[in-house]
Amino acid sequence: MTTPFRRTALYAALAAGAFVSVFPYLLVVLTAFKTRRQLSTTEPWLPGLPPSTANLAEILGGDFPRFLLNTVVMTVLLTLGQLVFTTFAAYAFARLRFRGRDVLFWLYVATMMVPSAVTVIPLFLIMRELGAVNTWYGLLAPYILGTPYGIFLMRQFFKSLPGGLEEAARIDGAGPLTVLFRILLPLCRPAIGTLAIITVISSWNSFLWPLIITSGDETKVVTVAISALKVGIGVDRGLMMAGGLIALAPMVAIFIFFQKYIVRSVVLTGLK
Amino acid sequence: MRGGRRLGDWYAYLFVGPSLLGVVAFLLLPVVIVFALSLFRWELLSPPVFVGLENYARLAGDGEAWHSLGVTVLYVLLCIPLQTVLALALALMLDRRIKGVRILRSLFVIPWMATPIVMGLVWDWIFDPRDGALNRALDLIGVTGPDWLSDPAWALPAVALVNVWQHTGYTMLFFLAGLQGIPKELYDAASTDGATPAQRFWKITLPLLNPTMFFVTVTNLIGAFQVFDTIFVMTDGGPSKSTDVLNFRIFGTAFREFDFGYASTLSMLLFAVILLVTLAQVRFFGRRTTYDLS
Repeated sequence: MTTPFRRTALYAALAAGAFVSVFPYLLVVLTAFKTRRQLSTTEPWLPGLPPSTANLAEILGGDFPRFLLNTVVMTVLLTLGQLVFTTFAAYAFARLRFRGRDVLFWLYVATMMVPSAVTVIPLFLIMRELGAVNTWYGLLAPYILGTPYGIFLMRQFFKSLPGGLEEAARIDGAGPLTVLFRILLPLCRPAIGTLAIITVISSWNSFLWPLIITSGDETKVVTVAISALKVGIGVDRGLMMAGGLIALAPMVAIFIFFQKYIVRSVVLTGLK
Repeated sequence: MRGGRRLGDWYAYLFVGPSLLGVVAFLLLPVVIVFALSLFRWELLSPPVFVGLENYARLAGDGEAWHSLGVTVLYVLLCIPLQTVLALALALMLDRRIKGVRILRSLFVIPWMATPIVMGLVWDWIFDPRDGALNRALDLIGVTGPDWLSDPAWALPAVALVNVWQHTGYTMLFFLAGLQGIPKELYDAASTDGATPAQRFWKITLPLLNPTMFFVTVTNLIGAFQVFDTIFVMTDGGPSKSTDVLNFRIFGTAFREFDFGYASTLSMLLFAVILLVTLAQVRFFGRRTTYDLS
């Protein structure tokens, strides 16, 4: 059924698509290592020889490392918060009985419908009222207590675990905390890994909220810093791509090492 | 159930507590605030003034706002059908045991985790009329490319292409999972009955992918309606407001013109549009989600 011709056509189509997927990354790497002179004399898709680290040195010599550190701190704290609070809430919704549980859960599902674009203005005004504009508190507070989407995903996972798991422990007198930490969490590692990866990526890449809530350098993150590179005098592509390379590299590394968790995020939605 | 039931209640409230605080303070309260503010005139410096429906009356006659809504809808129409069809086609091509299939799948997903701000700048560079990779490559085959991002006719499709580039691969993963959930016996039975590949696709594959189709179009549409990052770094809403999508206009109205009342009214418009489109999809797909919400 699969003739050699069809097989070749299939591979050609896939290879073309894969090339388009990867090309912008390639361009970042190539351009970041070009001198200004090489940039104007070589085709964009060819490397500048010899490669130059001048752009990287220039960007790392400025305030950029500080913004990078801010992004790392923001990403770590948001991810930790998401994991802790989401796991507790999802566990309660999936495995505990308490008054008001179903009503509360429907409330969470309903808030999943609220677009983040709609909450940005009121969030800014709330933070302004609290004197939290341009502070770590303002940057982190709205997103550190766990998201309804994360709770929804984790609840699905908790529900998929067999119901008898807790019974035996309960008979031995274990409380909900012991059950969660000793019995359920070890089984949840794949789901927790997936949630962590998704949160790391979305925190690292976040832009609109940091842009609005940050006015000085204290809490400025990499995305905001990079967007400002285009507004300066003249456009220095090499410098921009060097900044881009630094911002992209950790995400690509995460992708390479934790791919299976990303694939699992699809399965976790329960659509399979 | 003994006294343990009450203890259990307490534990549960303790566990849910922090996230509930987040949901109430940072999701529900903002929705209430944005609605309330849409009834006020407020430029931050002076106290807010209640104006009733004045902002909505202004919206009704605000040609630029409706233009922004039109641009947003056009953007969504440029992104979603193309991206969905491409993702499905890729999934069909990669849902087989061929050499290198795992690596190919990975390569297609890799755009998904790219920082949109960075990729906005990269594509801005690719679309550069003189030095950009796209027009340089077109030169090689003797075609003179347009001034992509400075041409009102091309700027929006160009920005939409970035979105398609970023989200096609991840969407493909959902289709792949969906395809793998279709029992192979169905295809065997259809082949025995003499069904052509096209018939098998339209009568088996597509209908059984319905839940996946529903999920990916709903989530991708909601995302596309809120596009901001790429517009911010690539076009700043121009040229001639041809990429002035609604979320970008909301941002400008609030944080550049400090017109927070009217920006809230525009937010309500975006909210209403997203809600209506999502509800329309729920009806179109003729089913509730496949989630077990019990």
